[in-house]
Amino acid sequence: MQTINLLLAGFQSAFELAAFITVVVGLLVGVIAGALPGISFVNAMAMALPFTYAMGATQAMLFLGGIYVGGVFGGSISAIMINVPGTPASLPSTWDGYAMTRKGQVKRALTIAVTASATGGLVSALMLTFLSAPFASFAMRFSQPEFFAATVLGLVSVIAIAKDKPIITLISLLIGMAIGTVGVDPLYGQARFSFGIPEVESGIRFVVVMIGLFAIGEVVDLVASNRDLRPKKTDGKPERVRLRDILAVKGAILRGTGIGCMIGVIPGAGATPGAVIAYGVEKQINPRGAEFGTGVEAGLAAPEAAKNATTGAAMVPLLTLGIPGSAATAIMLAAMMLQGVNPGPLLFIMDPSMVYTIFAAMIIANVLMIGAGFGVAQMFSTLMRTPPAILAAFIVVLSLIGAYGVRNNIFDVYVCLVFGVLGWAMKRVGFPSAPLVLGVILGPLAERYFLTAVANSRQDYSVFFTRPISATILFIAFVFVLWSLWPTLKSRIGRQPA
Amino acid sequence: MAMVDKTQTDLAPSGAAGTGLSTVPRLVPAMLAGMLLLASVLLPAFMFETVREQPMPGLGPGAWPGAILFALAAFSALWLLLEIRALARSERTSSLEAPAEEETYRYGKALGGIGLVIAFGWLLPVIGFALATGLFLLVWCLYGGQRHPLVLTLVPTIGTVALLWMFMGLALMPLSRGVGVFERFSVWLLTFIGIY
Repeated sequence: MQTINLLLAGFQSAFELAAFITVVVGLLVGVIAGALPGISFVNAMAMALPFTYAMGATQAMLFLGGIYVGGVFGGSISAIMINVPGTPASLPSTWDGYAMTRKGQVKRALTIAVTASATGGLVSALMLTFLSAPFASFAMRFSQPEFFAATVLGLVSVIAIAKDKPIITLISLLIGMAIGTVGVDPLYGQARFSFGIPEVESGIRFVVVMIGLFAIGEVVDLVASNRDLRPKKTDGKPERVRLRDILAVKGAILRGTGIGCMIGVIPGAGATPGAVIAYGVEKQINPRGAEFGTGVEAGLAAPEAAKNATTGAAMVPLLTLGIPGSAATAIMLAAMMLQGVNPGPLLFIMDPSMVYTIFAAMIIANVLMIGAGFGVAQMFSTLMRTPPAILAAFIVVLSLIGAYGVRNNIFDVYVCLVFGVLGWAMKRVGFPSAPLVLGVILGPLAERYFLTAVANSRQDYSVFFTRPISATILFIAFVFVLWSLWPTLKSRIGRQPA
Repeated sequence: MAMVDKTQTDLAPSGAAGTGLSTVPRLVPAMLAGMLLLASVLLPAFMFETVREQPMPGLGPGAWPGAILFALAAFSALWLLLEIRALARSERTSSLEAPAEEETYRYGKALGGIGLVIAFGWLLPVIGFALATGLFLLVWCLYGGQRHPLVLTLVPTIGTVALLWMFMGLALMPLSRGVGVFERFSVWLLTFIGIY
């Protein structure tokens, strides 16, 4: 009952004019950024970070939450319409979504996609609302060893992203973790790898690394590869979608939502593996699985639902434990910390009004997304006609402003440029950058939790295995690694000569 | 962000699915693995600027980065061994895969673009955000093939003023005004457009 009352108060706050406009603007920015190839919604969130300086803590979270929800869906618009995924998580949407467009069913595909995304997002927002409180009280039992174990689970989950290349993925993750050690250490106050440069002593911020790796390489590729981003013509007539059409794919939407909620709650997993796994599972379960890839609605609905179901789920570890579950929630964490708010179990006690306003905003954003999705899809074809050179120029300027805004320091711009060049080179040789970013984000957290846990237990390293929750999470992480690697191991064993 | 060809992906989700990939030059992965191995072996020697005179209690500030670099060295060595074995057996190594557009990709254009971005970042604190941004927008548009005078006039002008208003006017970010004469110009411009 208390949850309902708090949620109603949250709705009241979220429906205040300023808050509501903030959510709507964030949602539109997210959908547009997600829909534009070259600007992922994560980049949009990073670029939006400077704007949050001028906002209060709650308004900043509403703005970023709106971009997050809208951006995760937005990537599917370009994926469905022009076969170019706007975000990595939208990749499965090209397989059946674009096939539907080629059949002249673009409106039908967009309707199914936006409905599935909104359903997935709404369910996960409700899960966030009603399960966050028990999760937070459970999280109160967490101490440094458990936080370390949860961070390890987040770190190992990257293997699922590129399970066919475990060694290179691990190397990328370790490079990120090594970059995360630059600067003053969390326990002894000693600067590491500073090379006598004062600015380096305060460390390398993950937002700067992320902007450099993702945005600059993409922009350079845009001008160097002569990509034609104009929408392709379709020869069929748009089809009206009826309720029974949506109900026909309800199973796929529900399965996708379930998978998205489960994957999203794991720190570090994110929308991409959620969408890909949902597609794979649906392909196995659905009676029309063999036809997937030819424009089957269920093949589009399942990954769409899963992708947006990760948005609310990823907020659970962020708000209850202070652990970002994805790059997007890492930016939200950064925004909260900039505002002097420390997410974690105490936030639910210290500022429940803010927490439930965020919950209400997530629910509202998912409902509004249906309208925003259609509106942006309509204008998308016009926006895509913007010459790539103009688009790319503004992405560069906004990226460097985003890097500068992290600490109002030109040094971060230089760091961003270094990682921009590195990101471009990594992209050209196919070296994965996502694990590196995750390493920079989670590595320092893992170090802090590990060192303080060991120090608190008087150098007893068994503390991670003797505490039940910590031991269980580490066991899950171990099983997760095995489960992720099993298909690769199985195929390699199968290839061995008899 | 390459166009996704269903025949390339075969609808089998994997880390690289959907991008349509080709193998990078054979020596690149081995060289990269070797460089990473070398870096992870050498870097511990450069961890601290000053030599600590007294041992610290517990694990010390070097334990975690030391462990990370050790693991990095171990996996880099493993990767290097696998690459050398593949080269020795004349196998087609597939550890790294470049995007499919590799054949049509203009490296000269890409390097020029990177140069422009670096020049923009370098000029920011010297000539100030306003001038650097206007100049960058103009040069990048030209570099990207835009030749229409209206585009080349309006995009840098309106774009710069809009960005100045968004970030210095509304978000109150202390973006660089440059040094010397450039600072005076920036202050004049910011006053002229009503931000100061």
